Amino acid sequence: MNENYSSILKLVSKPGRYCGGEYGSIIKDKESIKARFAFCFPDSYEIGMSNLGVRILYGALNEEKDIWCERVYAPWVDMEEKMRTYDIPLTAHESGDAVRDFDIVGFTLQYEMCYTNVLNMLDLMKVPLRSADRGEDEPIIIGGGPCAYNPEPIAPFFDVFSIGEGEEALVEFTKLYIKMKGDGTYTRAAFLHEVARTLEGFYVPSLYDVTYNGDGTIKEYRPLYDDIPTKVKKRIIRDMDKAYFPEKVVMPYIETVQDRIMLEVYRGCIRGCRFCQAGMIYRPVREKTPDVLNSQAKCLYESTGYEEISMTSLSISDYSKIDELTDKLLEWTNDNMVSLSLPSLRADSFTKELMDKVASVRSSSLTFAPEAGTQRLRDVINKNVTEEEILRAVHTAFEVGKNSVKLYFMNGLPTETYSDIEGIAEIAKHVIDEFYRTENRPKGRQVGVTVSVSCFVPKPFTPFQWEAQDTMESLAEKQEYLKTKITDRRIKYHHHDARVSRIEAVLARGDRRLADSLELACRQGFKFDAWDEFFDYDKWLAVFEKSNIDPSFYANRQIGLDEVLPWDIIDCGVTKEFFLRERAAAYEGNTTPNCREKCSGCGANKLGGERTWCPNSKTCLK
Amino acid sequence: MVSKFENLPEMKPCYAKKYLPKLPAPITVRIKFRKIGSAQYISHLDFQKSIHRIVARAGIPTWYTQGFNPHAKIAFGLPLSVGAQSECEYMDIRIDREISCEKIKEQLNAELTDELRVLDVYLQTTKFCEIKYAAYEIKLKCEGLSKSLAEKAEQLFEVSPLIMKKRSKSGEKEIDIIPFIKSISASYSEDDGIMSMSAILSANDSDYLNPEYLITAMRDRFSLLSGDPTKEWYSITRVRILREDMEDFR
Ligand code: SF4
Repeated sequence: MNENYSSILKLVSKPGRYCGGEYGSIIKDKESIKARFAFCFPDSYEIGMSNLGVRILYGALNEEKDIWCERVYAPWVDMEEKMRTYDIPLTAHESGDAVRDFDIVGFTLQYEMCYTNVLNMLDLMKVPLRSADRGEDEPIIIGGGPCAYNPEPIAPFFDVFSIGEGEEALVEFTKLYIKMKGDGTYTRAAFLHEVARTLEGFYVPSLYDVTYNGDGTIKEYRPLYDDIPTKVKKRIIRDMDKAYFPEKVVMPYIETVQDRIMLEVYRGCIRGCRFCQAGMIYRPVREKTPDVLNSQAKCLYESTGYEEISMTSLSISDYSKIDELTDKLLEWTNDNMVSLSLPSLRADSFTKELMDKVASVRSSSLTFAPEAGTQRLRDVINKNVTEEEILRAVHTAFEVGKNSVKLYFMNGLPTETYSDIEGIAEIAKHVIDEFYRTENRPKGRQVGVTVSVSCFVPKPFTPFQWEAQDTMESLAEKQEYLKTKITDRRIKYHHHDARVSRIEAVLARGDRRLADSLELACRQGFKFDAWDEFFDYDKWLAVFEKSNIDPSFYANRQIGLDEVLPWDIIDCGVTKEFFLRERAAAYEGNTTPNCREKCSGCGANKLGGERTWCPNSKTCLK
Repeated sequence: MVSKFENLPEMKPCYAKKYLPKLPAPITVRIKFRKIGSAQYISHLDFQKSIHRIVARAGIPTWYTQGFNPHAKIAFGLPLSVGAQSECEYMDIRIDREISCEKIKEQLNAELTDELRVLDVYLQTTKFCEIKYAAYEIKLKCEGLSKSLAEKAEQLFEVSPLIMKKRSKSGEKEIDIIPFIKSISASYSEDDGIMSMSAILSANDSDYLNPEYLITAMRDRFSLLSGDPTKEWYSITRVRILREDMEDFR
């Protein structure tokens, strides 16, 4: 680090976020490499350092001898102010070199509310915001992650998107870049065309022309060349046992959001809750074997020294070999003072045996997500869990010494009525009652229930992708109503800000025309919109108005089932027919079995994969 | 295919530690380390937390406190403020199995970077409360430096009182910092335009003087370091820790 950068660090809060030098960070000799990749996380260091995807892709790219991948985070506002005052461009964490001088700049897009940070970071790099304005010497800007499944609102800012899992795709992409630079065939246009033409899972928005109907809906997407795909199919890692796994981890010296080992047990989810995008876009489920997981956990322990292993997958107790895995882990974790934890538990698979194994002394609280207050609505959203199962689960939790329970719900789900909202208060009450019915409950301690209610946001690639979001007025009324129904002081009630959810809905289902609004937002200094203290709803409305965008068109409109959707250009594996079937089932109140019980023919099986539940898979888990 | 993880060599230090012979009673080893460059920006609190992980992955056989929430005991010598470097930090670790000091040093250094290096490990024989002074090397590069300014700086830190605002738990108060300055010398080099200072400051519990006060004093009185921070800089490095008799603390 040079002395002058060091001077700036003496003037900002938590300079440990910018100084680099972490154990495990990768430094390469600039002379020996052919492509420099800047991997940007458009939020603070503390959040970015906790992201498993960044960790994997950072490692996978750096495995390649001639690629050097570095990390970049969004500077906190006080740092940004110094950067702007003293004309310091955004730099990469490892080398301290300006990101603008890199070959490729990648952004991971984890949530819609980070879009303003993406643009602000481009601005701090001094790279033109729009792809169309970038010159030959400027880096290629690529996006990926869950939000890339509907990249349209930010499409004009990106040169290309990587759709699906990136471990293999990004390496191929960078190698193609190196090859074309090497043989002299590289120009931005030639490279991007070649990417779209020859690599699977890459969407180059500038190569598709979008036209609109008179009513503002999309007429069609037209590829500019006939040698590029009309639909971009997502990439998956077929065999998770063989997927790249980072043996070394960059160890932050400052506290981050997840200071623990994150062990990714499998990808995908067998469930298929109808509001959940993650449950659809990561299909099919692909499991790792317990032996591989155990070795990986050991490897992570050796390279980090963390005292906790968190088994992170969408619904961990659905792992087919959960007992075998926990037994193997416990053989060495106890001796080394390492505890196991499960972030996500389904009430129906919550057993005393499992609890005993993962009992972590640190936490006295457990979280369940019934999502809806009545069986009727839980059936509509296909959350196949009953109140009896929830009560049985909390009973077990109380028996093993827990005395507080967190319950997650959602307001504004399709078909929701006020009796569903009353149901939320009812469940919370029943959980309190269950505490007193539990004979060996923790004695002398007060029971506590936290009810946390978010707002439904219709997301692309879900059976509810066409639904209208509840209006803000309606959501506010519902939140108030629930408040009057919760009178017990032992029940704490939180709800999300409906205004954030509305903007999220606009951006989630938006099309390319939203780029004007986002650019305007960036010019007005929007940033850190995922943070309450920076989010300003009225300013968002003003920006939409100025750029002639009606937010209701995107958030609160029931989209026609036959409309061309902005994300139709992407093929996530699961078919539109399946989403339509699921939508119809929802309105009839019918549930759909999970992949483990019965295949419902979602279409994701065509992507292939080892150790899936899909019936045609060679290594079907059944 | 056989996973590449199946053939990992067993018994990394972090697992091997439990096979080391047990000591009759836990003993305390003292670890001297440096904290320079990027590492100067890790706050004391953050560092305390990460050292537990470093010790765990290095396989140091730490003694765990008994009870409901067992944890390793690690004690630190002097605090070091964010933005100051040090070549002589100390921490004490209690171990309960046989391991040589050399091995502790080697295993810790395998888990650390150059900016955070263990320099020495030995059995603890003294208490941190024997620390009386700390010696610092301070370097400045900015507008307005000269030989005569170096002389003026020496005078500034010699004549009592030099009243400065000091923040404490009970709010801001004004103190004279001169009694906390044991000695100070300053020089200016025409060649590189850097002013260097050597200072010995009080560093025991009750009257610890943060070396940043010297910078603040010069900033206030001589308007140094008030321009563009990308063109000016200063650094503070703690170089020695001393006892009452001015011998090196060990
Ligand atoms: S193809 Fe069948 S088993 Fe496979 S993910 Fe889809 S529904 Fe599940």
